[in-house]
Amino acid sequence: MAADLDEIKAMIERTLPGSEVVVLDETGTGDHLRAVVRAPQFEGIGRLQQHRLVKAAVRDRFEDGTIHALSVTTLRPDDPA
Amino acid sequence: MADEELTERLRQLIAENEVLLLMKGTPTEPRCGFSLRTVQILDRMGIEYGAIDVLPALQPLREVTTEISDWETFPQLYVKGELVGGCDIVEEMFASGELAETLGVEQPEMPDTPESPADLPAQSPPLDIERN
Repeated sequence: MAADLDEIKAMIERTLPGSEVVVLDETGTGDHLRAVVRAPQFEGIGRLQQHRLVKAAVRDRFEDGTIHALSVTTLRPDDPA
Repeated sequence: MADEELTERLRQLIAENEVLLLMKGTPTEPRCGFSLRTVQILDRMGIEYGAIDVLPALQPLREVTTEISDWETFPQLYVKGELVGGCDIVEEMFASGELAETLGVEQPEMPDTPESPADLPAQSPPLDIERN
């Protein structure tokens, strides 16, 4: 079952209010996704913790097997795109 | 709850290996694209590292790493006992030079891009697609 990209985006935005999120289907198969997330919550925390926050937001879709892989790119509000 | 014996063994391996990669497959035969990409970067750094194939015990090891590092996907790179990250983070840190710094090595020189035409494989001619 392919992931609903809008749902994944909404899950991340709900966990990280104020974030800007782009979710891409990297392989066209709907199960290897990339999320680019710019969030104010990333200020002052390291990359590992930033990635943990994003992964935790979509954990349910990993656990039910919808997503096999999620590549994550995190940006702080002032980082260049 | 993660298996205690396995947790202890992994903690020990992380402590004993200055650079340790938990991956799917082996450095010579990676079984996942993300593990392959991470191995390629480590090989570019010209360092020795330990590698553990997680596939024979994937789920138990996932439980262990979730417990000790709060990280459940593979690959995972550990340096000096600390989790550095998975493929995305390793790639970002490689590009920025932070990985070389973390490993205490010189940043390898980047190949010239674009490659000179002589290095590129022969291109196939444009395809003519005919409808039958």
